[in-house]
Amino acid sequence: MLEQAKESWTIFEAAHLLNRAGFGGNPSEIKSFHALGREKAVDLLIVTTEPLDAFPPPAWSVGDQALASLRARQQAFKKNSRANVGMSPEEAERAKKEAIKMIQQEGRQEALDMQSWWFHRMLKSLAPLREKMTLFWHDHFATSIQKVKEPLFLVNQNDLFRRNALGSFKDLTQAILMDPAMMLYLDTQSSKKGKPNENFAREVMELFTLGEGNYTEQDVHEAARAFSGYYLNKGSGKVAHDKRQWDSADKTIFGKTGPFNGKDVIGLIFEKKEAARFMVKKLWEFFVYENPSDAAIESLSVSFQRSDFQIAPLLRDIFLSKEFYTESAIRSQIKSPIQYLIELLKQLEITDPSTGFVVSAQQQLGQVLFMPPNVAGWDWGQAWINTNTLLTRYNIAGFVTKGTGGDEKSMDTTKVKSFGKDSKDKRMGRAWYGPNYKEIAPHPLREIPSDLVDSLIFRFFQCPLPDKARKSFIEYATSEKGVIFTDKEIAQLCHLMLSTPSYQLC
Amino acid sequence: MKTRRDFLRSTVLGASATWTVPMFIERTFGQLHEGARDLAIQPTTGKDDTILIVLQLAGGNDGLNTLVPFADDAYQKSRPRIGKKEKEIIKLSDYVGLNAAMPFLGSLFKEGDLGIVQGVGYPNPNRSHFVSTSIWETADTGNHSNTGWLGRYFDNACPGADPTVGISFSKTQPESFGAVKNPGVCLNSPELYRWIHSGGEKDQAEQFFADLNKPNIQVDHDDDEVLEGGSIAMAAGGKVGGITGEGNLAFLERVALDARVSSKTILEIAAKHKTSVRYDGTPLARNLNLVARMIAGGMPTRVYYVSHGGFDTHNQQVNSHDRLLGQLDSGLKSFFADLKQQGNDKRVVLMTFSEFGRRVTENASAGTDHGKASCLFLAGSGIKGGLHGIHPSLTDLSEGDIKHTVDFRSVYGTILSDWLKAPNLKPILGANYPKMSFVG
Repeated sequence: MLEQAKESWTIFEAAHLLNRAGFGGNPSEIKSFHALGREKAVDLLIVTTEPLDAFPPPAWSVGDQALASLRARQQAFKKNSRANVGMSPEEAERAKKEAIKMIQQEGRQEALDMQSWWFHRMLKSLAPLREKMTLFWHDHFATSIQKVKEPLFLVNQNDLFRRNALGSFKDLTQAILMDPAMMLYLDTQSSKKGKPNENFAREVMELFTLGEGNYTEQDVHEAARAFSGYYLNKGSGKVAHDKRQWDSADKTIFGKTGPFNGKDVIGLIFEKKEAARFMVKKLWEFFVYENPSDAAIESLSVSFQRSDFQIAPLLRDIFLSKEFYTESAIRSQIKSPIQYLIELLKQLEITDPSTGFVVSAQQQLGQVLFMPPNVAGWDWGQAWINTNTLLTRYNIAGFVTKGTGGDEKSMDTTKVKSFGKDSKDKRMGRAWYGPNYKEIAPHPLREIPSDLVDSLIFRFFQCPLPDKARKSFIEYATSEKGVIFTDKEIAQLCHLMLSTPSYQLC
Repeated sequence: MKTRRDFLRSTVLGASATWTVPMFIERTFGQLHEGARDLAIQPTTGKDDTILIVLQLAGGNDGLNTLVPFADDAYQKSRPRIGKKEKEIIKLSDYVGLNAAMPFLGSLFKEGDLGIVQGVGYPNPNRSHFVSTSIWETADTGNHSNTGWLGRYFDNACPGADPTVGISFSKTQPESFGAVKNPGVCLNSPELYRWIHSGGEKDQAEQFFADLNKPNIQVDHDDDEVLEGGSIAMAAGGKVGGITGEGNLAFLERVALDARVSSKTILEIAAKHKTSVRYDGTPLARNLNLVARMIAGGMPTRVYYVSHGGFDTHNQQVNSHDRLLGQLDSGLKSFFADLKQQGNDKRVVLMTFSEFGRRVTENASAGTDHGKASCLFLAGSGIKGGLHGIHPSLTDLSEGDIKHTVDFRSVYGTILSDWLKAPNLKPILGANYPKMSFVG
């Protein structure tokens, strides 16, 4: 058990918890969160009352409609090939291309729908920790729409992650074995007795549970045999096990021998204490800081394994620990692009960004939801930042704070027609005038540059800045002030404050 | 062209009565930690030096269907469904031939400007994409190094170089660029590689805005077959190097300075050159086009890095693998034509690499699983064409994989000393490896 932090806490500590366990908030949200006290605040994050279905997913992914369109798509391919009989090869080729093009367009739109849906959910959810853990699992058990292609499977997987967000790591790993998106992603739908595909067996040990060095090549070969026979029933959209394709002979894994199937192998993995340590360290690095001490990890691992791999009590221990609020933790983490974007919008009290903006900003910064780069998920920390992504962050901050400059005619409207179907998207895309600065920097505050700057520093950094930096901002504000501080000048000041190395940290 | 030194000098001397935005920025960016300040007081690199292009084939390229040992019975027997027959290849010798998807590389071989190193790998190979990619990029088979082989080249053989000594066209920094001091820069689009801060830059603001509003989801439905290797479609980042004990804030400040310095240079240069050579629309061709523009503009860059993904061909691989090789071939064809037109073709050598090859025997899904040794390409008029190294046996295998006959660090070492003229390999590769003779 780690040493606990005391109950009384500062507003900076409250902001730190809200940043790390969620996606931050605006000053008034931080104030009410702080007022709860440390323990109640942690409990509010962990025990949420927001229903799982509080944000209805895109209509095409729900219930009968989803299955019907899944089947229709299968059918389209079949009908197509049947209809092609009697066509010349060129005609058949063209017909096939047409059909594929249609499915492609539909898939693209659906991918945009779900990327926008989840992003908005993260932005607005009253259960930020659950969303953050859903993102954690999406990164941990990474699959991408680029390969899976069937958006329905990723929406369903997202729901699986959310339901189990703070539940048992072991149960979730068992569920991933039966997850259609993972199966398509790792090509295990074609793993058969005699010639098993090693992909899932290797990744489950290396990336999902044990980590490199805690299993042998032999374990991988043997486990691959146990994982044979699982297949995806495309009509029902479910994974099933075909005993005839399963290698039922004995396997020897981690020194134990038996006629194991996939479920058994995962059971064997979770008997190893490395599984607990692997996940505890990963969660610590995700929420607190990199390279934690062995002692902290060891002590948390013991209770994690004893609780049968329950995430909620583990995170409660971490968020109530003294270590979580030390100097090495607070404002030491480089924001991921998703963290960066959602914090930015929350701080500027923007609740309804357009789909076009949401998705392109993710692409430019290098983290697109439902599209992690590979099965190892995203690289976090310093890997988010290079000269290119840093400049892009500065420019995105410029776009969000200043809008399009208010000159509607100068924007080529044809460029924005292609995205978003509803008029709201178009409205924001064509003429985004920036946040409501009357609220963010009310006029009385604008009279005194140092107060204005201090208020914005709390909004953007949630902690005092070094004197040198604070003074530069005040000097700039003073020189810009003139007779009155216009919204445009406030926007310029905000853009400068956001175009700094410090703003990349949370 | 402004250097780090100029930036810092203007910071120090830049006490001014009125605050302008650029002034503010220079002051703010100038507040650097000691490490970056030391680095700034150095000369810059020349513009006429040799250049290396590193082209990653991400996902584990099937070397045996790239350089095909068509005449080997063991090859045909192991790959009844996916094997290439003698008539399907571009014959290079009585034993091997190139995959026919690469006619340009075939002609380059005949002209003597394509070297193919056979059987490249390393001892105790690892079959994980991530570990093996790390090993190739760090040139450390123990996978402990926190810096990359190119980053160590920048740090040790290019003292005082501007950050643009290495440019990677990617969103994440390749591990091979990981460096203690100078990790080079990453960029996507030179025109937008800048900070747009005031109202006087309408064009850039608009272009940036247009880009921000153009979602472009790549869901590959090109074929009805599965997109191969989606699970490792993109280059993985990973270790980024950095100064030991350097905090995230110091790291960010360092990158911010590099961005400022390189942004000016790159913008100036990108505006200069337009080519009449046609490139494909693939990401690879687009990036090779950008490299060509940078070279034409006279960047002091010694190493460019581009990536071509999708080689994790576990399933129904024939069409997708041939298509990927075809994209590579076509991209290189345009690139070398462009260089020739510029008159820079003699300065450039291109090397491909991939984290591993694939199993000799095809799997049940008409694909191939992760393997070990593979082949790599070296292209350019500075290269001695032909086959280098010995093709590994297809019957004397290690866990179903061919054994390496050439250590990849020998290839790196030869390039570093004979092409990039690094004076001392010890600090870059840790040891000296047998030199090869493909340069010259």
